[in-house]
Order: sequence, then C-alpha cells, then structure tokens
Amino acid sequence: MSDKLKDIINKQNEQQESVVEQLDDVVQLVGFMIGDEEYAVPILSIQEIIKPFSWTRVPQVPGYVMGVFNLRGAVIPLIDLRAKFGLQTKKQGEDTRFIVMRHGDDVAGFVIDRLTMAIRIKKENIGPAPDTTNSDDTIIDGVGKQADKIITILKVNKLLERDF
Amino acid sequence: MDEFQEILQDFLVESFELVEKLDEDLVELESNPEDLELLNGIFRVAHTVKGASSFLNFDVLTHLTHHMEDVLNRARHGELTITPDVMDVILESVDLMKALLEKIRDTSSDDGIDVSACVARLDKITGGSGEVETPVAVAPVVEEETPATDTADEDEIDYDSMSPEEVEAEIERLLSERQEEDRKKREAKIAAGEAVPEMPKAEDEEESKEEPKEEAPKKAAPAPTPAPTVQKQTKKEEPKAAAPAKKAPAQVEQTIRVDVKRLDHLMNLIGELVLAKNRLIKINDDVEERYEGEEFLEELNQVVSIVSLVTTDLQIAVMKTRMLPIGKVFNKFPRMIRDLSRELNKKIELVISGEDTELDKSIVEEIGDPLVHIIRNSCDHGIESPEERVAKGKPETGTIALKAYNEGNQIVIQIDDDGKGLDPEMLKNKSLEKGIITEKEADSMSDKEAYTLIFRPGFSTAAQVTNVSGRGVGMDVVKTNIEKLNGMIDIDSEVGKGTSMKLKIPLTLAIIQALLVGVQEEYYAIPLASVLETVRISKDEIYTVEGKSVMRLRDEVLSLVHIGDIFEVERILDASEHAYVVVLGLGTSKLGLIVDTLVGQEEIVIKSLGDYLKGIEGIAGATIRGDGGVTLIVDVVALMDIAKNVKVSALSEDQNSAVSKEKTKPSDYVVMIVDDSKTDRLIMRKALEPMGITLVEAGDGQEALNILKAGDYNFDAMLIDIEMPRMDGYSLASEIKKYNRYKNLPLIAVTSRTSKSDRMRGVESGMVEYITKPYSADYLASVVQRNVNFKSEFL
Repeated sequence: MSDKLKDIINKQNEQQESVVEQLDDVVQLVGFMIGDEEYAVPILSIQEIIKPFSWTRVPQVPGYVMGVFNLRGAVIPLIDLRAKFGLQTKKQGEDTRFIVMRHGDDVAGFVIDRLTMAIRIKKENIGPAPDTTNSDDTIIDGVGKQADKIITILKVNKLLERDF
Repeated sequence: MDEFQEILQDFLVESFELVEKLDEDLVELESNPEDLELLNGIFRVAHTVKGASSFLNFDVLTHLTHHMEDVLNRARHGELTITPDVMDVILESVDLMKALLEKIRDTSSDDGIDVSACVARLDKITGGSGEVETPVAVAPVVEEETPATDTADEDEIDYDSMSPEEVEAEIERLLSERQEEDRKKREAKIAAGEAVPEMPKAEDEEESKEEPKEEAPKKAAPAPTPAPTVQKQTKKEEPKAAAPAKKAPAQVEQTIRVDVKRLDHLMNLIGELVLAKNRLIKINDDVEERYEGEEFLEELNQVVSIVSLVTTDLQIAVMKTRMLPIGKVFNKFPRMIRDLSRELNKKIELVISGEDTELDKSIVEEIGDPLVHIIRNSCDHGIESPEERVAKGKPETGTIALKAYNEGNQIVIQIDDDGKGLDPEMLKNKSLEKGIITEKEADSMSDKEAYTLIFRPGFSTAAQVTNVSGRGVGMDVVKTNIEKLNGMIDIDSEVGKGTSMKLKIPLTLAIIQALLVGVQEEYYAIPLASVLETVRISKDEIYTVEGKSVMRLRDEVLSLVHIGDIFEVERILDASEHAYVVVLGLGTSKLGLIVDTLVGQEEIVIKSLGDYLKGIEGIAGATIRGDGGVTLIVDVVALMDIAKNVKVSALSEDQNSAVSKEKTKPSDYVVMIVDDSKTDRLIMRKALEPMGITLVEAGDGQEALNILKAGDYNFDAMLIDIEMPRMDGYSLASEIKKYNRYKNLPLIAVTSRTSKSDRMRGVESGMVEYITKPYSADYLASVVQRNVNFKSEFL
C-alpha cells in the first residue's frame, strides 16, 4: 500500500517537475490578426476577451483612441490597433474582438480583427525584435518563429503606455 | 391636577436637558479635576433637580440627588478630590437619575427603582471624609457589629421596632457590603479579562432587598404601589444593565476611530450601488412601458422605489460618516485674527457662526488655505486702521463675520467685513497698470466683473507689500482651490461699507448631482453645482460679436459656446430652430453652453478615466449611466478656459456640405429606391431607367439609412415605400430629416396606402410627394424629374 502511494507521489512529483520545466522554457501567447499580420501577447497579460459592444467617444485624443467603455463598472479606454498601426480603419465585423489587457494597474481594451489561437512557443524559438526598430521605444518584444509563419510578439506595457 | 402635569412636564424637559449636559461635563471633569467652573455647573444641576423633585414629591429622586449634591458640594469646596472611583459612583448616580426621570416621564412616579445602593456608595464617599450630614441616610460604614451573614429573615422582627431611619440605614449597610463583595468579584473577573454584565448584582440586590422594602414603603415611595416582584425586577434591570455600558465607556466609545480608507471603500461601494440603482430604475421604466397595466408591475414599482429610497438614505448616511464640522477649520481663525490685528495695528473682531455645519472631510482639508487667504486679505486690505475708521464715523473696531450654512446641495461659507470695500474703478486702473486687462476690457467691465479682478494672478491691491499679504498670489490660490472643489465664489462689495464673499461648495465630491445634456448623438454630464440655470432660446437670439457668440440674458450679456465645438462633435444631425443654453457659473465667471437637448438631472458617480486618458481638457471623468453606457463628465473649470479660444460661431448655418455639383449628364442624378418588394423596385427601376439617371436600391428603411450614412452618393431624391420591415417609410423619413445634409432631400412616398390619414402622416414625416400604387411609368418619371430639377436638355 505504502509502496503504491510512494509511486503515486513520485509520479506526481515528476509531473510537477516537468510542468515546471515546461513553464521555464515555454511561453504561452494569444495570437490575433490585425490586417494581414499576426501578433501575439502573453496569455497572462490578458484579462479577458469580449465581443464588441458600445463605447463612448472621448474628445481631444488621437484617432486610434476610440473612447471608453464600461467593463462591469470600470471605465476602460478602448484603442483601435488597426489605427494605431497605421492601417485603414475597417468596420467591425463578426470576428472583431476587444482584448482587455492588464499590466500592473493599467488596463485597456484593444480592438483586433480576429483571434487566431493560443500558442505555446519555446523560448529558444523567439528571436529579438528586428534591429531596425529602436530597442527602447518599440512595442515589439520579439519575433516568434513557428513552423509555417512568424508571429510578432508585442510588449503589453508599451501598448498600455500613453503616448500622446 | 392639570397644573401639576404642566409643572411636571416643564420639570422633565428641564431635567433631561440638564442631565444631558451633565454627562459631557462629568467626562470633562475627570480629565480636568481641578476645574471649579465645571464642578460648580455639575453641582448646580444636582441641586436644581433636587429642588424641583422635592417640590413635586419625588422622594426617591430627591433622596438620590441630595446625596449627589452632597458629594459634589464637598468636591467643590476642595474637601474631596475626584478620583476615578468617585467618578464611577457619580456617573452611576447620574445614570440612576436618568432612569428615575424616565420612569417619572412614563408613569408620573419615581417608585420602583432602587437607588439605595448608589446612595450608600455616595454616602460612603462623604462619610469617608469624616462628616456625615445627610439626615435621611446615615451610613455607618465603620460599624461592623452585625455580621454580614445576617439574613433578612432573621432580622425581620427587629426591623419592626426600628425607626424608619434605622431601617434605611441598616438596609444600606447590608447592601453596601454586599455590593462591595460583588464589586470585588467583578473586578477580579474583569481583571481576568471577562466581560461581566452587571445584571447578577441587580438580582442579588433584589433578593436581599425584597423583604425590607416592604417594611419601609412609606419612606421609599409617596404613593406605594406594591408591584409584583418579578415586574420590579425587570424594571430594575433595565437601568442597571444600561449602566455598565455607559459608566466608564461613556468617555471613550461614543465615537469610533475609523481608517479613512475604510470609509473611502464604503463610499466606493455605495457608488456602485447608486449606479445599480440608476440601472434598476431605467429597467423598471422600460418594463413599465412594455407591460403596461400588468399586476406585477405595481409590486416591482414598490421594490424599486424602496431600493432607491434606501440607497439614497444609505448614501447620505455614509456621506455623513465622512462629514466633519467646519468648526475644525474655523477654530484657528480667532487666534489668527488676534495675531494679525496686533501685527497690523488694527482692531478687528471675528464673529463666527454656523461652525457646526458639516462638510466632507476632503473638502474640510482643502478649504482651510483659501479661507486663510481671504481672511488675511480682509484684515489687510479690507479693514481700515482705527483712526481711519473713526474718521469715517465707523466703530473703531472692525468686524469680520465668518459664517457657514447649508443651501440646497451646497455649503455656503460667507466672509463679510465692514472695511473699505472694493472700488471697481481702482481695481480696473490697477489691472490696467499691471497689464492684466486691456483698456477695452476695462471699459466693458461691470462692477461685479471688476471685483473678480482680485482673483487674477499677479494682482495685489495693497499699496504697500506687507508681511501679511501683497505677494499677489493669495487670491489666485483661493480661486484655484475653490474651483478644484467644484465651488463658486461670489463677491459683493460697496465702497466704504465693506465686502462680502460667498464660497459655495458642494457637499461631497464622489457622488454628485449632474445635468445630462445631449449634443447630436452624444451625452455629457455637467455637475449641477456649476449650473445656474437653463434657458431655451431660438437661433435669432444669438448675436455674434468679434467672432464670438453672445446672447442677452435679462440685463447681462452672456458669452456662448457650443458644446459641440468644444468636444469636436461631428455635426451630423440638423440643429433644430431652438437650442438650450446651460448657464454655467464658476467662481465669479459665467458662460452659456449651447446644447441640443436637456436630458435631465441624475445622480452620478464620478469615475476616473484612468492613467491612459487622464488630463483630457474639459473632461473631469466619466460615469456609468442606467443603460450601462459611459457618459463623460464636463470639467467646468477647463471648459471655461477652452471656451475663450473657441471662435466658431455656435449656431452658424454651416453651408450645406452636400452642395450639388453642376450636373453635366443624366447619370449625375442619383435617386434611391427604398422598397421591400423586389418586384416593386424593378417596376420603379424600369420606369426611371429611360431617363438615364443613377439608381440605388435598398430593401428597407434601415438599409437605406445606412447607405445614406455611408455617404457614398449624393442623392437627389428618394422613392420610399411606406410598409417595410425593420423601419417603415415614415420613420425613415423622420430619421433622414434629422440630418443636416439631407434636410432638403426630396422624399417621395410610393405606396398603396391611400387614406387621407396616411397622406397626413407622410407630410408630417417630411415627404414632399405622395404617389399611390398603381401608377403609370410616365407619371413616376415626371414626379421624379420635377423633384430633382431634371434639366430639360437631357430629355
């Protein structure tokens, strides 16, 4: 009996270790489309993903700040990533989502064209941001290489930083 | 008997008042045992009550108060020091006195409350000092002949032979011993950390008291009512049980110190509740509309109104926990005035009133500085020197009156002085000198506007810069601070008579009353505290002066600004003939804000826009409305600043953006066909195609509206069917007419509805032509040609 228990405990320990191992070198991301590009942010920085609903315009802000919306009693800014990335604004459609991201106390909703999927990617497969971008100012954290494509990983803290 | 009742009533009212005061004084006395004044006051209370109660034959009360008086008298003559122990007994006797008074109030008799224990203790105090003067109760504390174990039963016969005084004394002796024991036990228990109610003592007393009480009723009560023991007991327990709670803790536990953070948290929660309440009310309205006359509605209505009532009460209650009397701020001024008057060699008296007026803690903290500045200013610039005052025939001593009072949702703090007053001309000249205003501005300035010059940065009226003021920053700070609190300043002055300044400040900051206004398709909330009035005007009442809109409001000229110009609202909807002007008042300046609609007054909870969007000019925050949408709150201070730079004339007819270009070919004409039947659309298309014009089709009103909104075409006319799904022709027509661009777009109804009322509705909703099906192709073509001004050369 105790042997069995030991076995089980041992197994569990092994599993936990392997999980720890996984956590160590695997990054979990959520991928989404803006225009034709696929981007991703760490899954832990996402508070929630919701379907679009009405928002209120705020005056005297850059065009990509669409306004504010009510997320269960909290007033949260809404940012159009298409506009922020210099793309033509597009009508919100079936696939449009608001991704609510959080970094520390900063929270904002971001409008994206379409969600792709949750991605597990090994750290060794993430390359640095291209040299052409200024390392401090860029909102690009790195580039994730996958079998058939590359994904731009964004810095959530930079996204949530006010830049006007 | 009536006369007696009347006297009794007066006695009770007076006594309760006295006792109320007594409590406070006693507490004070303990921390200040040497205060003779206090002691005298307390003594007088006991004395007064004693006098009156003996007159009214309340012997028990008289008995008690007499002993109290005795103890206090000794203390007041310095023969007795008030130790905490003594104070305990005194407080206990005060409690008993209260109980007796209550009893008298309820039953007109002071029978049934046992005071002997307390009296005994009081006596012990006086007895301890050596002299026992009390005629009623001699307390032979020292005497220990009778063993304490003596039971009442054994002594029964003996009591009969005793004189009433002796009986009384014996009872008291026994009791005091018993009590002493109990007290020791209790103290031991308290020391052991147990909370011990004093109830058991009352019962013990009752037991030992039971028998002798019957023996000496003539003594105890003038109108003996032998009430059953059980009843007595309960009656007795009440005051006794209350006593331990009040005795010592009376000094500490009437207030609880609470972390402000907790209150803030509570306030936030209430805020959420208010939002939910607003939402509930909104839903209730919707439901009411939909299920009119249903029975459950009434029930729902009741619940909603109870919830809303309780929420409001709760909100007020929580708000009150955050309230502090403004006296906290006022308190420092007498000293300040004293110092200032010495420094400035003036004679100034400060009269403070309304210091009990309560304000939110955060506001009390903010209000101090502005008040200091204003009062300093009054002392320095307002009040003249004594010689000057005498020369002017005023009393030598100047008066500054500081007053606080409630006015609606606001607190008004008024500072009046009887000094030299403000001279508008002098103010203007000074400002001109300093380059604060231009000559032109000075000319057009009213006296009231001139007074506000003192709030301009860089303005100082003191000819000489003194230590007190004259650095030219003070009043500027006042204005900013008051505006930060959403407050207003009102100045009134008369040369030679004095100046009066009123600060109007909202009661609280987190939840405010707001006026909701609509502009185009957006809504904004304006803090009601800054709204003076609203006026409905027609466009021709607006004049343009130097590129700015103004209007005449009674005898004032009010500058106007359109809220849409400030918040960059896209003007899609046609502005109607009439507009509403919300007159905003802030400090001393006024501004008319033109809005399209007034929605109403609502209680709103201010929420911050967060770090990302903070500091947007003109927006103070946001709130969540009953429908779950977010509404921005207007920052009136910033708005007034922005308004200065807005040159756009508010209601100027902007040129119709859809200026039809010169038509060079038939296909330049665009006509929309709106019909849900494909066949009908085809028939119309066939009828119009020969003209060569461009045709756009829509399947229903909603679709048509979307096409119009998208703005891809410049339509010259629309053919509209009346009966359509989603949005019918009438609604479509009235929707279209709301848009500036399409105000003059000819709408032609094409329908099989032929009744007169249908035609009337068509006209009402803005249709220009009414074609009934069936129609001939030629007829349709000719109607369209007429309405689009089809050029004959294309025919």
